[in-house]
Amino acid sequence: MAELSATRDTDRRSAALVIEFKNVGKTYKSLLGNSVQAVEEFSLEIREGEILGIAGPNGAGKSTLISLMLGYLRPTTGAVEISGQPARSYVEGNGIGYLSELIAINPKWKAESALVRYATLAGLSDDEIPRRVEYVIDLLGLAEHRDKKVKALSKGNLQRLGLAQALLRDERILVLDEPTHGLDPVWTQRFRDIVGELRRPDRTMLIASHNLDELQRLADRVAIIDRGRLQRVVSTGYESAAPVATRYRITFASGFDLVRSVFPGAEEAGKGEYDVTVQSIEELNSSIANLIGRGALIASVVPERSVLEQQFREAVGESS
Amino acid sequence: MTGRLGKYSLWQFRDFFMQHGIGIAIIGLLWGYTLLAPLRAAMSPQTPMPMGPGSPIWGLVLQITSAVVSVSVLIAMNGIVATDRKNGYYRFLFSKPINRVLYYAQTFLVYMIGVLLIMAILSALLRMIVPSFNVAYFLLYAALVYVAMGGIGFLLSVATRYDWLTLAAVWLGARILRAIYSGPHAGFKGKLVQVLPPVHRLDDVANSLIGTGSAPASDVVWLVGYGLLCFVIGLAVLRYGSLAD
Repeated sequence: MAELSATRDTDRRSAALVIEFKNVGKTYKSLLGNSVQAVEEFSLEIREGEILGIAGPNGAGKSTLISLMLGYLRPTTGAVEISGQPARSYVEGNGIGYLSELIAINPKWKAESALVRYATLAGLSDDEIPRRVEYVIDLLGLAEHRDKKVKALSKGNLQRLGLAQALLRDERILVLDEPTHGLDPVWTQRFRDIVGELRRPDRTMLIASHNLDELQRLADRVAIIDRGRLQRVVSTGYESAAPVATRYRITFASGFDLVRSVFPGAEEAGKGEYDVTVQSIEELNSSIANLIGRGALIASVVPERSVLEQQFREAVGESS
Repeated sequence: MTGRLGKYSLWQFRDFFMQHGIGIAIIGLLWGYTLLAPLRAAMSPQTPMPMGPGSPIWGLVLQITSAVVSVSVLIAMNGIVATDRKNGYYRFLFSKPINRVLYYAQTFLVYMIGVLLIMAILSALLRMIVPSFNVAYFLLYAALVYVAMGGIGFLLSVATRYDWLTLAAVWLGARILRAIYSGPHAGFKGKLVQVLPPVHRLDDVANSLIGTGSAPASDVVWLVGYGLLCFVIGLAVLRYGSLAD
């Protein structure tokens, strides 16, 4: 496991640098002279082929960072570079697949014609436009809504339309801000499958989300930010996660009286349910094997908090 | 692969007609009809009314047509940049490989063509009542007002969320302040109002340009120069400023 983790880290370091935040700061100033520091001394490198998650509580600066990356905002200090170019120059020259948190499409446009417009702006040829529009409509299940005006779409369908316009072109960089916001469980899962299919060695993706479980599943690393500062960067794979104390809930079918012989600090959480704390995934496995070896029957082992959630709470505090 | 901005101008043209053009046409028709229909009713082959330049009817025609042009430009400039910023439409538009300065410069140009097209239709209708009315001269005047007033409107749309309101305020304010602080005794305030839009020159230009197809060069240079300067400043703000709030 440790070997695999080291290989992945080496792969990541050897991949080309795509996006670089260089000591970026952004301060909003009002006309009355009041100022709010939205992002402060933020530095981060994102390499080709990587899926980077951005997590943080409300108002942490996630959307500001994305606006800086797309060149919609100018940093007060520092710089954002994409493939060695200033961010805005890169976007103007190459484009980025972007799904914003707020899906803002003119409500009078029809769904399909909105996609045709965006495809035109994306530079697709007259031959490609119908083909790609049809592809994203099919991919995101928008066929029955294609002639509806944007204002007539439900929140979930609007979210899918937003994602559809981001996927019109075969982009090298995809930025998805709260991508499953408003999606039902079926489409949330479908979205995760789509992101899985989009993963490519030459494609870099950024996903900002409140949903830590989603980031845990999709991202290679997660940058945790709070009050505009990068608090820590967490690798999401269990094999590469830093060893931290993690709690699990073990449910016994029988033999629960054996639990304290293996986990002395186990706390009873319910009938046949115990909460235990381990230092590593190896310790968990050997202890469970020990329990089974002694004759216990275990129905389930569920992490009470994922490694990411644990790290998130440590980084931003329990109140978030 | 870069975006196809030229091709997108067709969508911009469509947006102009749906969001501004229909309104401009209706206002122009209603305004023209309510003022000119009684005149037409009063005319008969036996009692022809003089309608050429210098006649009372010509004065009325000038007033109506120049007002329609100003209102049309005001409507056309409404939200030309501000709507995208206010509603967040810029997010998806400018994640595509296009230059926002060129995008809005093209929008300004497409809207100008739209305004001129509607003015051409309205003035052709007017010519049926007032045969001495020259459509080409009128379109020249409309183009001049579009650049002069529209350039200021464009800058205000880049800088503020309430562009048409501020444009109306600036336009009327400049007229009022110039009227108050004019003459040799206006002093410092008189000098200060010189930086306001040269709207006072517009009446003379309307008279001569719509009537004869020519206008004092200094007036035209002032009006067009002021509008173009504002337009270029607007583009520079777009280039170097932030789109997001």
